[in-house]
Amino acid sequence: MLEIKNLHACVEGKEILKGVDLRIGDGEVHVLMGPNGCGKSTLSNVLVGNPKYEVTEGSVTFNGKDLLALSPEDRSHEGLFMSFQAPVEIPGVSMTNFMRAALNAKRKYHGQEPLAAGEFLKLLREKRKLVGLDAHFMSRGVNEGFSGGERKRNEIFQMAVLEPLFSILDETDSGLDVDALRTVAEGFNCLRTPRSSAMVITHYQRMLDYLRPDFVHVMVGGRIVREGDASLGYAIEERGFDWIKNEIKE
Amino acid sequence: MASEQQYLDLFRTGRALIDEGSCAPLNACRQAAAEALAAHGLPTRHTERYRYVDVEAALAPDYGLNLRRALSPQAPSAAFRCSVPGLSTSLFVVMNDVVVPAAPGAAPLPGGALVCPLAEAAAAQPELLSGRYHAAAARTYDALTALNTMLVQDGILVYVPAGTVLERPVQLVSLAAAGADLMSNRRLLVVLGEGAQASLLLCDHAPGRSRSLTTQVTEIYLGRDARLDLCAVEETGERNARFHNLYVEQEAGSRLSAHAVGLSGGLTRTQADVRLLGPGAEVRADGAVVAAGRQRVDHNLLVDHAAPRCASDLLFKYVLDGAAVGAFAGKVLVRPGAQQTLSQQTNANLCASPEARAYAQPMLEIYADDVKCNHGSTVGKLDESALFYLRQRGIPEAEARLLLQHAFVNDVLSRIAPEALRDRLSFLVENRFRGVASRCQGCRLCS
Repeated sequence: MLEIKNLHACVEGKEILKGVDLRIGDGEVHVLMGPNGCGKSTLSNVLVGNPKYEVTEGSVTFNGKDLLALSPEDRSHEGLFMSFQAPVEIPGVSMTNFMRAALNAKRKYHGQEPLAAGEFLKLLREKRKLVGLDAHFMSRGVNEGFSGGERKRNEIFQMAVLEPLFSILDETDSGLDVDALRTVAEGFNCLRTPRSSAMVITHYQRMLDYLRPDFVHVMVGGRIVREGDASLGYAIEERGFDWIKNEIKE
Repeated sequence: MASEQQYLDLFRTGRALIDEGSCAPLNACRQAAAEALAAHGLPTRHTERYRYVDVEAALAPDYGLNLRRALSPQAPSAAFRCSVPGLSTSLFVVMNDVVVPAAPGAAPLPGGALVCPLAEAAAAQPELLSGRYHAAAARTYDALTALNTMLVQDGILVYVPAGTVLERPVQLVSLAAAGADLMSNRRLLVVLGEGAQASLLLCDHAPGRSRSLTTQVTEIYLGRDARLDLCAVEETGERNARFHNLYVEQEAGSRLSAHAVGLSGGLTRTQADVRLLGPGAEVRADGAVVAAGRQRVDHNLLVDHAAPRCASDLLFKYVLDGAAVGAFAGKVLVRPGAQQTLSQQTNANLCASPEARAYAQPMLEIYADDVKCNHGSTVGKLDESALFYLRQRGIPEAEARLLLQHAFVNDVLSRIAPEALRDRLSFLVENRFRGVASRCQGCRLCS
C-alpha cells in the first residue's frame, strides 16, 4: 500500500527526517514509537502533504501513485487520513457542513453523485454511534468548545465517515481517559477492513493492547532504527528508549 | 479648484429649479447648508472622521443631476425584483433619487403607519416633518450631509405612530440605474412613536453600467420603548460611490438593532451617529463586509451615551481580498452621568490577499466611573492550520478558503432576524465568496 524510500524533510529550514524507509502492506497496522522530537509527527505531516513541511529527498508511493506529487486534498481522496494530534477549532463551520463538503468532494473525485440529504444524515448518525459522539456536536462549529477527549472522538468519527484506506493516528490516545481510550480504540478496530492499513503513533502500552499491531517501528533522530512485532513495543514500555539509543551509538 | 465648487455653483445657478422640484421643508434648509459647505469645505485626509476616504476624488467627476425630475422611472417593479424568499415585505422603490409612486390600490399600512415621499408628507401632514427633518442631522457639521441637504429634492418618510407594531418589514429598494453618469441625493426620515415597532430593510442596487455618486442622509427617531430592526444590504458595482450618513436619536428604553451587509460596491462610506438620550436605550449594530478588487469600504460610528443604563454593542467584520481597503472607526462616548453604561465594540478583519488593507480604530471616551466598556480589533490572515485541516479531509483549497471566509462573518450574519432574511443574506454572501454576482430573481436590468 505505502512505500517510503529514503525520505528527507525539513521544517522551517531544519532537517527533521533524515532518510526514512518504511513499507506498509494492505490490512496491516504499524505502530511508530520514539522519543519526543524524533520526527514521528513530521513523518505524518509529510505524508498528508502539510505545506509547512518540505520534502528534500526520497519518494513515497501510495497504491502505485507518486504520493508526493498529489495535493493534500487528492491524497485524502486517494484514501489517506490523519487523525491530528491537536485538532484545530473552526468556529462558524458546522460539523455537518464540514462533513458534507468533505464527503461530497471525495465522491466527486471518484465520479460519484453527491449523497442525498437523507442518506447523508443517516450515515452521520450511524458513525456517531460508533464513537459515542452526541448529536448536538453536529450543529456546532468544527471542534468548537470540544474537550480534548471529544476532539479525539471526533477525529475517529471523521475517519469513520470518510472510510480511508490508510489512516495515520498521531497520538490519538493522548489526553484520553481509560473509557474514552477504549471507545476510540474499539471504534478504530471496527473500521478496519482486510484492505485498510494504519500507522499509529503512541507512547502507551494500552494502545498496543487494543490494537494488536502487526509491526512496531522505533524512530530516533529522523530515521527508523528498529523494527519488530508488538513485543518491541512492550520492551520500550518497560525499558524506555535509551537502550536503543545506546545500541545505535555502538 | 476644490471639488465642492462645482456643486456650490450648480446650487447657485439651479436654485430655482431645485426648489421647484422639491417641497418647503427641504427648501428651507438649503441656504444654511450651502453656506456651511462653502465655509468649511470638503473633508481632507486630515479630517479625523474621513482619514481613509478621498472625498475630493470621489466628488470630482462631473456627474449629471436630475434637477428637473425628468428621469421618471420606467415601471421599475416590472424590471427589478429584490426579493427574499419566504419573506413578505411592504415594498417601496427609489429610482436614482425619485420615489416611485406606490401601485394604485396598494393596501395602506396598518395602525396609521405611513411610508411616503417627503414631498407628499410635506403637503398632507407637514407636522410629521417639523422638528425632525434635518434636525438630528444638523447638530454637527458634516460636509456630505451639507451637500445632500443643499441639493436633495425628495426622500422617504417612514412613520409609525405610538403603539403601532408593523409585522411586515418595510423594504426600501434604492436603484442607481440611469444610463448616464448621475449623482443622486437621497433622504430617509424614520419616526417611531412611543412603543412602536418596525423592521426596515434597505437594499441598494446598481444594476446598470454607468457611474453613480449617491449621498444619503438618514435620520431616525425612536420614541420611548420603540423597537427598530434595520438591515441595510449593498450590492452595487465598482463604478458606484455611496456616502451614507445616518443619525439616530433614541429615547428611554428604545432599541435599535442595525445590520449592514456589504456584498459589492465601489466606494462605500457609512457614517452613523447614534445618540442614546434616555435611560435604558440600547443599540446593537453589526456589519459583515466582503470586499475585493479595488473596493473601499469605510464605517465610521459614533455612539453617544448621554443617559444612564444604556447599552451599545458593535460587531463589524470585514473580509478583504484583492487590493480592497477596509476601514472601521468606532467611537463610544460615555458622558458624565451616563452611569452603568454597558458597551462592547469589536472589529475583526480578514485580509485574504497580501494587497488588501484593513484599518481598525476602536475608541472609547469615558467620563463616568460606573461603566463596563470594552473594545477590541484584530487584523489577520486565514488560519493556515484550519485550511490544512479542511484540505486533509478532502475539501479542495478554494472551497476550504470559502468555507473559512464565510465562517468568519457567520457570527455577524447569525444576529440578523428574521430567519428568512438571514438565510437569504447568508446565501448571497456565500455566492459572493464564490465570485458569483447574485442575480436577483427575475431581474432584467442585471442581465
